[in-house]
Order: sequence, then C-alpha cells, then structure tokens
Amino acid sequence: MSVRGCVAVVGVEYSKLAAQLKARVALAACVVGPFAFAAAMKAQSSVPEDTLFGRSVKESGFAVPLVVLGFAALWVFPVLASLVGGDVFSAEDRYGTWKTVLTRSRSRSEVFAGKVVTALGFSLLLVSVLALSSVAAGVLLIGSQPLISLSGVLLAPPHALTRVVLAWTTVVLPTCGLTAVAVLLSIATRSSVAGVGLPLIASLLMQLYAFVDGPEVIRQALITSAFGAWHGLLAEPPYYGPLVRGSMVSGVYLAICVLIAYRSLRQRDFAG
Amino acid sequence: MMERIALEAIGISKAFGSRDALRTVDLVACQGELHGLLGPNGAGKTTLMRVLLGLVRRDAGTVTLLDRTLDPAGDAVPDGVAGLVEVPAFYPYLSGRKNLALLARLDDARRSVSRGRVDSALEQTGLTAQADMAVAGYSAGMRQRLGLAAALLRSPRLLFLDEPTSSLDPAGARDVRALARRLADDGAAVVFSSHDMVEVEELCTAVTIINHGRVVVSGAVDDLRMRAPAAAHALHTSDDAAAYSLASRWPGVTAAWGSEGGLALSADIDVLDAYVIALGRAGVAVRGLERRARSLESLFFELTADGSRGDSPATGSSEGAEDAHDLEAAS
Repeated sequence: MSVRGCVAVVGVEYSKLAAQLKARVALAACVVGPFAFAAAMKAQSSVPEDTLFGRSVKESGFAVPLVVLGFAALWVFPVLASLVGGDVFSAEDRYGTWKTVLTRSRSRSEVFAGKVVTALGFSLLLVSVLALSSVAAGVLLIGSQPLISLSGVLLAPPHALTRVVLAWTTVVLPTCGLTAVAVLLSIATRSSVAGVGLPLIASLLMQLYAFVDGPEVIRQALITSAFGAWHGLLAEPPYYGPLVRGSMVSGVYLAICVLIAYRSLRQRDFAG
Repeated sequence: MMERIALEAIGISKAFGSRDALRTVDLVACQGELHGLLGPNGAGKTTLMRVLLGLVRRDAGTVTLLDRTLDPAGDAVPDGVAGLVEVPAFYPYLSGRKNLALLARLDDARRSVSRGRVDSALEQTGLTAQADMAVAGYSAGMRQRLGLAAALLRSPRLLFLDEPTSSLDPAGARDVRALARRLADDGAAVVFSSHDMVEVEELCTAVTIINHGRVVVSGAVDDLRMRAPAAAHALHTSDDAAAYSLASRWPGVTAAWGSEGGLALSADIDVLDAYVIALGRAGVAVRGLERRARSLESLFFELTADGSRGDSPATGSSEGAEDAHDLEAAS
C-alpha cells in the first residue's frame, strides 16, 4: 500500500463528493443552521432554559456554539458522521462500480484507506464548518460578551472563546468513532440505507440508555457519552475524567470498526 | 520466434460454498494473440475473468499477468492490464468524460496526460459527442463503449473482454471486433469471452472452451477446426426415406432423422457434394440443404453437451471429450 495510491483514491472520492447534492446540502446546512438559530434566539423573547447555556444564549454570543454543540450531540453528529461514512463503500455496490474501481492500478488496501480517510475527513470538515459557523453566528448576531461558566464563574471573551474551541475539539474523536461504525455498516450490509440509518438508530438507543437505570460501565462504554464530555471543560476548575474516558472509548470504536471493515473488504469476492 | 506469455493462469480453482465454480483451470495467452473463451451459460467464464482480475479470490492456483504473479486477493491490477467484465458500470451522476478522468487518476495519470488520453479513448470508441452527458442517460451500448474507453485508458498489453459485443448493435459489435484485432496486431494479448462461436471462430487465433468450471479443450483455432467433427447440415428432399437409405450406405456420411423433419447430416463438404449429386441421379430432388453448425461450433456442442443431442449427427460426447483432453494435453 502506498501513500500516493491512497492520495489518488482520496482525490477521486472528493471529486465524486463535490458532484453530489447531499454533500453540498450538508455543508450549506452546517453554515446556515447556526445563523438561523442565533437569529431566532435574538428575535424571540424566550430562551431554551432546559439546555446547557440555553439561559445565556441572549447574553453572550459564546453560549450559541455551546448550545449548538449540546443539540448536535443528539442528532446532528450521528447524521454528519454517517452521511458519507455510511455510503462511501455501499455506493459502489449500488452502482455496481466495484469491478470498475478494483480493476485499476489501486490495491484493495489503498482503496479502503482512501475511502476511510475521505469519510473521516468529510465528517470532520462538516463538524469544523458547524463549529466555525456557530461561533461566527454567536459573535456576529449576539455579541462577544463574557460567558458564565457551568460553575457560575464569569469567563472573559478570549478565555470563553478558548473554552468553546476546546469543547468542540472534544467531539472530533467521537465523530471519527461514529464514522467508523458507519463505514463498517456500509461494508457489512452493502446498503447505504443501513449504512446511514443504522448509526442514527444506534445513537438514539445509546442516548436512551442514559435514561435507564443500568450499569454505569455500560453507559461509559457507549460512544454517545463521549459527546457530552466537554461539560468538564466549562466548569471551574475544569475536570477531564469523562473526556479521557470518552476519547478512549471513541478510539476503541474507531480501531475495532476500521479493522473489521478492512478484513471484510479484503476477504470479499466481487462475484456479481 | 518465442512468443512472450502475457497471461499464465495455472490450476485455478474456486468454490462458492459447496459449488465448484472453477476446477483446476489453466489458461495461457501470448502477446499478439486473440484468445477466445467459450462456454455455455454458467460454465465459469465470467468467474474466471473475475479471478484473473483479482475481483474474486481464488482457492488455488497461480495467476501471472505481464510477468507479475498476483496475490490471491488485494493486489492492484498491474499496469498494462485492463478488463471489461460483464456490463460496465460507472457513476451515473457524472459525465462519461468525468468518469474516465477519475479512472485515469486512479491509474496515477497526471491531469494533463489524462485529459489527452481520455479524449483519445472517447474518440476511439465513438463517444466524443456524448462525452459530457451524464452516464445516467447512456444506453446499454454507450455504456459498453465507455467501458471499452476505460480499458483503453490503461494502454492495455493484456485485455480481458467479457462478452463485449453483447449489448451492441451490429455496427458497434463490428467496431469492437476491429478494435480487439487492432490491439492484438499491436502486440496486446486479448482474452475475448463470447457466446457467439462464429464471432470467436472468425476473430480469435486460439480458443479455450470451458464447461462446468473445467477446461474441456484449448488450442489454436486452426488445430481445433481440424479435430472438430464435420459441419452439420439439414437436408430436405422429395423422398427423405430414400435419402436416408442412400446416406446410410454412403461412406463418410452420418445421417439421422432431424427433429424438424428431413435429415441431419454430418459429412465433409466433398463427400456431401458427391452424396447430393448421387441423390439427383437416384431421382430424389433436393428441396433444401442448410448448414446448421460450423466445424468449431459442432465441436463446442459436442464437448459441452451434457448428454447426446437427439438431432445431432455428431459422434458420442464421451469420445469427443477424450479427444478434447488429448488436444489439451497436446497443446
């Protein structure tokens, strides 16, 4: 497997994505969504009080990206993670193009690596765009006032911005983990519906588990728990236990799913 | 002059579950050779092509393409090897030109080089006018041409064509045959799978016939033609009983009652001529004499028939199979 070969596959995959409506719609939604939310918050009198930082959303623009982050953990990140990851392999089955791709000068390993890098990269691109758009929407539409932390301490704007950036950074690994789950399902089921839909359903079930009085060790092993690990960064003093655990869990999901997916693709017969 | 081997597949076996799709298949093709791959539906032709191109993992055997021995699965297809397996498939939301450009990038071609190659491939396959149309709007024939264009991008020295004329109109099929012949004339080895025996007999210099996943015969077309049973003819006369009686006594003529009336005859053409003249002298009018199968076609039927054909004037299949194995061993 050569780096050059993987880069060639990544280039081809991004060219295909650029021509797909879903990719453009997802990017546009990540840009527009936070602005629409901030504009709505500014216009209306009520605020989402039952959400973390919801009360502060009209008082500090830095609360907007944190509210978006909290909401995105429920639905948006699973969607962003599976949008490309759940389709990048199964689309070749849908179009019957495996025989076209695998009879060129790229090995299965290079094709696999290129596609996984594309899926991870596009998921992170969407998350980054959503983060930047959320910060921009908050600062531009609400303002850059100091932010009250979860412990009630007032954070100066530069400090608040740093915490917001760090909070968004914590979802990188869980997003990669969920993308890897989608990749595995895309390969295993050869169906884009399953590849995109099953990670969403699995995320929903994992989040529902939070309301069940089950063993704590199971809750901590669920990848959706990692999406809430940023809370510790907005406390005074910050605590990092959930963040470390969440990162480790996400890393395990990522490694296991990618390994199984790789073995599955290597051993597959493209017989028709 | 020693012919350089482009494809050497030895002892290829593949099973899907309990079903043996290929059983110790050997296939060798030299550069400049148009090698036909014949067999009835389900014989294993497409599976063999997929194994050779690395799409299907082989259970046993070795595959060497252009002097490179391939791993059972996962190796990239060597440069200079291209394949068109069954109906070609492309990304329907992209144009034909864009599809080819992406495939050229997978082949490592620089953009400036690939643009020229893509244009040339489109021109050679007659797709220039439709190149910027989304593939979703292509007909089956246009997709087949695009598949050929994708293969040409790799400047093939070994080309696998799996029934490449199946969805083409007669003019398109003629163009494909001409293209295959030109590539072979330029030194490429072309493995050409087809159901159409006339097409293979006219086009190819060597042929391998497979049935039930086994090679039943392989060799140069001229050699096989010499070993093949005589061509089969259907004869209709004014008095079929008298014609049958004369045929049964005529040396070199094998006669049987035809399934659609008349007689089914098998004989060399000179013997047949003499027999027909004799019929006229005997007062039996010939109302119709029609060739039913060419010599290679007769051999194919003989070797791939699961049992004796009721209307076949050919000799028994087991004897033919033994003959075929002799040929294979000789080749």
